[in-house]
Amino acid sequence: MTIAINKRIYHGRKRANGVFLTLSTLAAGFGLIWLALILYSLFYNGFSGLSLKVFTEMTPPPGQDGGLANAIFGSVVMSLLAVFAGTPIGIMAGTYLAEYGRYSWLSDTVRFINDILLSAPSILIGLFIYVIVVATTHTFSGWAGAAALTVIVIPVVVRTTENMLLLVPNGLREAAAAMGAPRSMIIRAVTWRAARAGMVTGVLLAIARISGETAPLLLTVLSNQFWSTHLGGPIASLPVMIFNFAMSPYEDWHKLAWAGALLITLAVLTLSIIARILESSRKN
Amino acid sequence: MADVAYESNPMTVSDSKIAAVKRSGAGDVRFHALTVAAAAIVVLLFLGMMGALTEGAWLSIRTFGASFVTSQKWNPVTEQFGALAAVYGTLVTSVLAMALAVPVGIGIAIFLTEICPRSLRRPIGIAIELLAGIPSIVYGIWGLFVFAPYFQEHIQPWLVDAVADIPVLGTIFEGPPYGIGMFTASFILSIMILPFISAVTRDVFDTVPATLKESAYALGCTTSEVVGSVVLPFSRAGVVGGAMLALGRALGETMAVTFVIGNSHKIHASLFAPGTTISATVANEFTEAVGDIYHSSLIEAGLILFFISFVVLAAAQLMLRILHKRAGGVAA
Amino acid sequence: MDAVVTEKAKLSVKNLNFYYGSFQGLKNVSVPLYDRKVTAFIGPSGCGKSTLLRVLNRIYMLYPNQRAEGEVTLDGEDILHGKQDLNLLRARVGMVFQKPTPFPMTIYDNIAFGIKLYERLPRSELDGRVEDALQRAALWTEVKDKLKESGLSLSGGQQQRLCIARTVATRPEVILFDEPCSALDPISTAKIEELIDELVKDYTIVIVTHNMQQASRTSDYTAFMYLGELIEFGDTEKIFTTPTNKKTEQYITGRFG
Repeated sequence: MTIAINKRIYHGRKRANGVFLTLSTLAAGFGLIWLALILYSLFYNGFSGLSLKVFTEMTPPPGQDGGLANAIFGSVVMSLLAVFAGTPIGIMAGTYLAEYGRYSWLSDTVRFINDILLSAPSILIGLFIYVIVVATTHTFSGWAGAAALTVIVIPVVVRTTENMLLLVPNGLREAAAAMGAPRSMIIRAVTWRAARAGMVTGVLLAIARISGETAPLLLTVLSNQFWSTHLGGPIASLPVMIFNFAMSPYEDWHKLAWAGALLITLAVLTLSIIARILESSRKN
Repeated sequence: MADVAYESNPMTVSDSKIAAVKRSGAGDVRFHALTVAAAAIVVLLFLGMMGALTEGAWLSIRTFGASFVTSQKWNPVTEQFGALAAVYGTLVTSVLAMALAVPVGIGIAIFLTEICPRSLRRPIGIAIELLAGIPSIVYGIWGLFVFAPYFQEHIQPWLVDAVADIPVLGTIFEGPPYGIGMFTASFILSIMILPFISAVTRDVFDTVPATLKESAYALGCTTSEVVGSVVLPFSRAGVVGGAMLALGRALGETMAVTFVIGNSHKIHASLFAPGTTISATVANEFTEAVGDIYHSSLIEAGLILFFISFVVLAAAQLMLRILHKRAGGVAA
Repeated sequence: MDAVVTEKAKLSVKNLNFYYGSFQGLKNVSVPLYDRKVTAFIGPSGCGKSTLLRVLNRIYMLYPNQRAEGEVTLDGEDILHGKQDLNLLRARVGMVFQKPTPFPMTIYDNIAFGIKLYERLPRSELDGRVEDALQRAALWTEVKDKLKESGLSLSGGQQQRLCIARTVATRPEVILFDEPCSALDPISTAKIEELIDELVKDYTIVIVTHNMQQASRTSDYTAFMYLGELIEFGDTEKIFTTPTNKKTEQYITGRFG
């Protein structure tokens, strides 16, 4: 007995499938082309603006030669401060969510709010820090910028820490508890250790995330044409410098803006790739 | 194995153990308290943000009341502020960006999970994830230096002429070719959120159990039928949730928009005209604003953005939670 | 319940009920666990044998909706009351799990972890204790040259013996085995069974297994459980040759389970 296949239906389905596959592929091609174009422009213009001077000289006045040394320094300092302040808070809060608070209403609330903060517009974090730090101290400052970046770091670290701790099998916690280890010891000696690679990944991603943040710094640190290590006042940072230079009418400044954008992108890509390698070593 | 030392009196072993357990107990309580405190900081940051923005906006709220959201008069000289144009610009650019990025992003995700040759899936997937992490300021300066000039010179004049006589399109795409404007901002925004939407959607598609897809293929379904009747229905909540997360990003995005929107507080029918968004207004004007009422108005605009994005992000969380419950239910 | 009563009970379970939320996992279970003897719990999956084991060191307390009612005494003292220090209880009642659970640290640190919980020892003494524990778990000769390698690098059977060594190192009085061989090959299983024969000289041992040969080979007493109830308890030889209960007989002859 043969099955009667209705040819009309069959061919209709085939055609629909062909149209569908073509559309998806075209969409993918369309999207990927724009992204490739952006990367091309960035690398082309960025590398032609890049030179040793970028790392050794201060930001120039219009029409003169110069680099981004002060801006790179400011960015690195503020990012490091934010990571040092935000990581412990993020790890402890993530630990609460995954270990102590697994069954409590508080952790549901914290998780919800953390996920909102994670995607909250960063310019609002800038306004927030402006109101509570800049307006009360009456000065834009590197400290305020670091505080704004800290607010961005915390939710990223909380999220990855919780996710990574939840991947640690419960059997490991039970085994440690069955030896009479107190809860804090189980967490520090066993679950943190098992989740270490993933938690480091989270911190790297947090650094990647803040290294390009412009809006919050714009509202809290302002900028500075000169070399400054004084965190109590405005200091230069790469993203704000790129913003100011790109908005200016000067050709030299545009070049430096491209070079700065390339530096940030390379830093972010490097961090993400290291994070990825760590992640895959964790899985094996 | 005859180890005499092991035959010690159980009571004395227990005594030393009691002491050890008592020592570690205090540290245990402290550690627990520290984690609770850290979790509380997360909540306090959120409440603090809401409180600080409200406090900063208070002067403006009292002065302008409801007219702040109904007026598009934004005049620093006469100190008259209405954020209608910025709210309008925020919503329009985000919606337009979504209209372009969502279908293309879903297309990329389908391409990656169902069509693309296996050997290319990982590299393209990784490339897209990496692109999702690139700072938005890069998209912004690309828009300003590369896209806008090209668009102004080669596409815009031609497009304005081509649709001039068509009733609705003619109005939407009219005016002098500036290059920058609402349309350009929406386009840059959509390219910026594209990798994010693609990556999230791909992850969501991956939560569909392989057996479910296999059984549909086993019935003789074509790829489009599997996607249409199994993958999308199963992961609908996740796709919507991911799209709303992207919308949340688009609404608050500053740097991809500020460079190319033109910063004009006037609502135009044409998308080629300059406009502004809340975040672009704040970024452009905040540090140069003079006077308490000007600052306060900018902060009130921020407060409005806070509420819009809160609603969108909360809805996104809800949808994603539905997806996770469902995926968990099937796996178990 | 016609067991030999001349033995001294190390642990004694009386009228124990256990609940997972609203589901009752154990129904009025009473059973003695004799000092320095092996007691095996057998029964089909879901009969409550693992649940009972998890009450003996109260590891179920990690999960908030689980609770036990009744009486469990260790050396005559009730351990179910609220004031019982759980860490202390677990220091005296050790547990080896179904799947090997080496901690993500070196082989040496896996053993030292448990010792350091209760004692501050000079390095040389600690080394001795680690070696002693590994000797007792019959693992020393296999790992003595790679103590600094990760515990995860060992084979499944070695990992399980590492977990036994880890438990022994804290000098407990009772060791609970929760289906310790169900994830292991026959050769590793034989090694663990030999080990249990050795360990029972010093420790009270409770083992849960769904392998009846294993129960008959390793244990002095056997308890048969079914649907959360204790059906029969007695001398292993007697349970396996002349069970008094019909259900027990059906189970051990393989007619259900």
